[in-house]
Amino acid sequence: MKPETKLNQSNPFLPEPARIVRAYNLTQDVRFFQVRLVDMEKALSFRYRPGQFAMISVLGAGEAPFSISSTPSRPGLLEFCIRKVGTVTNALFRLRENSLIGLRGPYGNGFPIEAMEGKDVLIVVGGLGAAPLRSVLLYCLDNRDQFGRVIVLYGAKRPAEMIFREEYFDLKKRVDLECHLAVDADDTGTWTENIGVVTTLFPKVKDINPANTYALVCGPPVMYKFVIKELVKLNIPKHQILMTLERRMKCGVGKCGHCAIDYIYTCLDGPVFTYWDVLHMRELI
Amino acid sequence: MMEKTILKSSFPQWIKSLQSFKVFIPKRENFGWELSSNNQILEIASDYTYPVVPPKKLIFPQEEIFFEFEQNPDNGIELKEVLPEESPQVIFGVRPCDGRAVEAMDLVFGGSFEDLYYWRRRRQTTLVGLACHQPPSENCFCLSVEGSPYSEDGLDILLTDLGDRYFVKALTEKGEKLLSEAPSLFKEITPKDREEKERVHLEAQGKIKRHLNGARELPEKIKAIFDSNFWDEESSNCLRCGICTYLCPTCHCFDINDETKSLAPLRGRRIRTWDTCQFPDFTMHSSGHNPRPDRASRLRQRLAHKFLYFILLYDRFQCVGCGRCISLCPVGIDIIEVLTRARNHGK
Repeated sequence: MKPETKLNQSNPFLPEPARIVRAYNLTQDVRFFQVRLVDMEKALSFRYRPGQFAMISVLGAGEAPFSISSTPSRPGLLEFCIRKVGTVTNALFRLRENSLIGLRGPYGNGFPIEAMEGKDVLIVVGGLGAAPLRSVLLYCLDNRDQFGRVIVLYGAKRPAEMIFREEYFDLKKRVDLECHLAVDADDTGTWTENIGVVTTLFPKVKDINPANTYALVCGPPVMYKFVIKELVKLNIPKHQILMTLERRMKCGVGKCGHCAIDYIYTCLDGPVFTYWDVLHMRELI
Repeated sequence: MMEKTILKSSFPQWIKSLQSFKVFIPKRENFGWELSSNNQILEIASDYTYPVVPPKKLIFPQEEIFFEFEQNPDNGIELKEVLPEESPQVIFGVRPCDGRAVEAMDLVFGGSFEDLYYWRRRRQTTLVGLACHQPPSENCFCLSVEGSPYSEDGLDILLTDLGDRYFVKALTEKGEKLLSEAPSLFKEITPKDREEKERVHLEAQGKIKRHLNGARELPEKIKAIFDSNFWDEESSNCLRCGICTYLCPTCHCFDINDETKSLAPLRGRRIRTWDTCQFPDFTMHSSGHNPRPDRASRLRQRLAHKFLYFILLYDRFQCVGCGRCISLCPVGIDIIEVLTRARNHGK
């Protein structure tokens, strides 16, 4: 992986103009945004790692952190899956295609792609956790020969809330990927996959080679404890269980204090943490 | 390093000679002392204690404009970076605790990424310290956190009041430059000056009444009682007003928000403002989940940041013992008492 490049190195608080080139709803309250930096050179040279995030500005409404859902293996466009929950996201949802926004980043540590190369990758997704994990999943698929088994377990509340549902059903057809889907409840009557929380998918995962497996987890806070239990049962080493966690953030550069946990800053040292970190740092989840 | 003396009667001339600087001197207000750039004042009052709002506000202001934005006719949006002016400033009457606090803040705003706005101001600031004769507050406890009433850390000059004159110790190039603005006012020191200065320093040390014993044991202790109900008991009175952190000379947390002056065409600015970990929404996610949901976890965060996390990062306390948070807390939460009870917890 090429090293990341940061926008506006001298004053990162200045956002770089970017254009929403495509936006459509994934679910009732989650919208997909394709964004391109206005400066073509910067758009093409912008480098990031799967698992990193960017700060998006809607001038007048403010700024908030969002994990990047696209993969650096497809440069040029950046993609985000954003849930409408606060001031900035409400303003974002009002913007049409071709609107200008501000972008700065990339921030955070991202996934240790180099260490994961040659290993099996088990991705466990809950709900909107699909946003950051999509980046690493697409990266693995774009560089399929560099990874061992790729397994995806994805749980959502209801079929309509499963973001990129069609993409995942397509993935199920691939022979080089194991993809298992679940919903907590089926209100459509047409759901053909598992019903239950994401942990009910674990029995479908066979013959894991734990020492050779990286498990990547992202979902709502309540999910971690149950998923980690399953991963530990599979004997996956603690430092190979990776979680990408959420935190309120303002600056992205380790100054403002909002995302401070213990002696670390989520925006610098996270948002990707190992289970080992979680055991040693309280308040992490 | 340069040591001189200056007569108090010559002090106003020194201030006047600092034409190229914006000069801040303590001024008495009805709420207490304030660092004021009102240039009528040419001396430091003999009963000056310390400013209610620490000098951090002149380097890391409560409100700072990052940039302004404006929609132009073709619907693009123009950003105008607003950097602090090129305007050198001198702050007189910085107490040694507040000097050490600036030094601690330098660590935060430096590091892997240098905060442009902070350093623009910081590099243009000369801190003229004033050693404490008397503790400025009954709650001073600088000795317990590796400071002293005559600490030089973070300062460019340290003045010590010797009655009719000041002992002047220039500690940095910036400090020496300030002396060179009026070289004729400064006299060579005599052995007596030095002796008197040492005596003043030692006496001041003896006048500090409050102590936090065993502060270096606190990191381990805080870890040990992290999950205990100790914090619930200690924080139950907290009103979440945030004064302990706003007026703390080392607290640096901030928020970033947009202020809109006009919606069509869009015009406004992005500002940084002081923020505090004592506010419930400081860590509130937009989903409603809050990893620090109660007063107990927020008090613990404030104290653990100062007496555990900062030590892990920089091997120093993020508390300089100024006592402001004690004196100003409306419900009497006393950091010395809380930490002393923490240290004795379970004993």
